[in-house]
Amino acid sequence: MAIVKLDKVGKSYGNGAVMAVQDVNIIIEDGEFMVLLGPSGCGKSTTLRMIAGLESITEGELSIDGERMNAVPAKNRDIAMVFQSYALYPHMTVRDNLGFGLKRRQADKALVKKRVDEVAASIGLTEYLDRKPHALSGGQRQRVALGRAIVRDPKVFLFDEPLSNLDAALRVSTRAELVRLHQELQATMIYVTHDQVEAMTMGDRVCIMSHGKVAQIGKPMDVYLNPASTFVASFLGNPPMNLMPATASETGIETGTGRIAGTGFAPGTKVTLGLRPEDLRPTDNAAEAVVSGRVVSLESLGAETLVHVEAGNDKPVILRGGRETPARLDDTIHLTCDPDMARFFDPETGLAIPTNTFTGDKK
Amino acid sequence: MSAASQSPRISASGLRMAALLLFIVIYTAYSAGPFVWVASMSLRTTTEIAANPYALPWPWHFDKFASAWLDSNYDTYFFNSVSIVLSAVALLTIIGGMAAHCFARYRFRFKGVVYFLIFSTIIFPPQVTVIGLFQIMVDYGLYNSRIGLVLVYVSIQLPVTIYILEAFFARIPKDLFEAARIDGYSEWAIFWKISLPVALPAISTTVILNTILLWNEFLYAVVLITEDDKRTLPLGVLRFLGDQLEDVGMIATGLMIAIVPVVLIYVFFSERLIQGMTAGAVK
Ligand SMILES: Nc1ncnc2c1ncn2[C@@H]1O[C@H](COP(=O)(O)OP(=O)(O)OP(=O)(O)O)[C@@H](O)[C@H]1O
Ligand SMILES: [Mg+2]
Repeated sequence: MAIVKLDKVGKSYGNGAVMAVQDVNIIIEDGEFMVLLGPSGCGKSTTLRMIAGLESITEGELSIDGERMNAVPAKNRDIAMVFQSYALYPHMTVRDNLGFGLKRRQADKALVKKRVDEVAASIGLTEYLDRKPHALSGGQRQRVALGRAIVRDPKVFLFDEPLSNLDAALRVSTRAELVRLHQELQATMIYVTHDQVEAMTMGDRVCIMSHGKVAQIGKPMDVYLNPASTFVASFLGNPPMNLMPATASETGIETGTGRIAGTGFAPGTKVTLGLRPEDLRPTDNAAEAVVSGRVVSLESLGAETLVHVEAGNDKPVILRGGRETPARLDDTIHLTCDPDMARFFDPETGLAIPTNTFTGDKK
Repeated sequence: MSAASQSPRISASGLRMAALLLFIVIYTAYSAGPFVWVASMSLRTTTEIAANPYALPWPWHFDKFASAWLDSNYDTYFFNSVSIVLSAVALLTIIGGMAAHCFARYRFRFKGVVYFLIFSTIIFPPQVTVIGLFQIMVDYGLYNSRIGLVLVYVSIQLPVTIYILEAFFARIPKDLFEAARIDGYSEWAIFWKISLPVALPAISTTVILNTILLWNEFLYAVVLITEDDKRTLPLGVLRFLGDQLEDVGMIATGLMIAIVPVVLIYVFFSERLIQGMTAGAVK
């Protein structure tokens, strides 16, 4: 049972010379699985480590269940953390690794043993209890690290890229297991990753960070469908959202090589148009084209084909087509899409212009 | 069998092997020779040695060990050595370990200055400091005291102990300490439960190194201890150095009593020692 609240939290290094994190406001609800997602160096780990108490908070306030935590040392915060490196104690057996945190709080050895056995059984570590970490595979070590957190039954679980050292197959299965674990424990979990697949599949909500600030917080699908800024739009999705300059006219939004229906903008307004690659589809009717251009490359990924279309912008527009696509290299192709799926951003600030201002009826 | 291997010609690799063997034999003789000589003299009387310094011992005078031990106070020297060296090494390990832990893990004000002060002491050879030290020990009533000698031993070996341990502690991933903090342990508990056990290879290196060095230490002991029943083993030879007469046979016997424990430490722990010296990062 824990609500974690970050109120204008910031972290500076070297007397304010480097702002690693600034003005972070997040409320993580009880039992929520919150994912912190962002590119390398954006301050995810720093934020997590401030919650853990491993890093001092230089600005703002952190509270857990309404209790101010800024000055509470890590050991008294009742949180558990799974490290990217696992940080298993090399001189202890798996059993001692699992029980180490519990022993500190629970004097009764029999109870510690019972709890360790219980958790070891639940995550399939029973047969390794007497081994030292160096005699385990990477995946098994990862389990021990996970088990060490579970054993303690903490208020909050923190994860810092716990899956990044696993191979692809193991990552997928561990991902599913973490989701199951979260449902079972109903605990508050904060999970740092730079892998958007993990964020999309695991998070109740995702907090996307950029340059030490929160760019957007929301349910994964909401964030994916309605990015708050061009940063989020171009960070999420693989390939990311196509962004191109466009200008409003009497009849719609002109991209230079086509037009998208729907207005609401004063004619002449410049916007950045965002279109997800999967929302685009080829059309033979040049009149309904949103963008048109020459096919400059085709990437066959097996289940789908990515078609890169040169439409006079900095970057080609990417269309996510099916396994078989009619597009041929060097052909000129017209692309269209459902106007409801178009997103607009302010070209100056990069911030989203809410969709209800332009969809639907004319004013 | 090919023709080549039947021919008497020696191959290049065989030649290299032979040269290496020769080198090892010469080196072993060079380093073991004095030891064997002292060992053989320890079983002979001074008269026998005077007659022929290099002869093999016959008959074997094992009784010389009993007489050194019982009549020449070697039992006292031995226990003095053991107690002084053990206390000094224990203190060195704990103090050095804590200091190294702090140097490796924390950032604090004047860290560089403190570090420099500790290490600047090693540039003075003992001959320079021993006179001043003598005066200080007399002033503080630590002259002719085993505790005084322990303190001196701790202070002379501390810099190198900290140096070896700090290098090792610095390689322990900091995640380990952070995990322990989150597991609820204080810095003090982390030192005992994580730092020390994880650094065991380095700790055993310093323990062995300090034990051997201090066991053989002569200069400070001879200056700071004059009472016979407080002497350590290396001072035992003084017992057999009269004004006119040197009892060479008994000196050799006394030396053997002093040397054997060191040799045993080498035999049983040399692997550990090398391991600690070359230990890689903690996995
Ligand atoms: N001790 C420090 N002194 C100065 N700057 C620091 C320090 N520690 C971290 N930073 C800076 O803080 C920023 C955020 O670092 P952080 O480790 O939180 O990034 P991250 O989002 O976890 O990245 P990654 O995905 O690579 O782990 C980085 O720009 C980093 O250079
Ligand atoms: Mg990180």
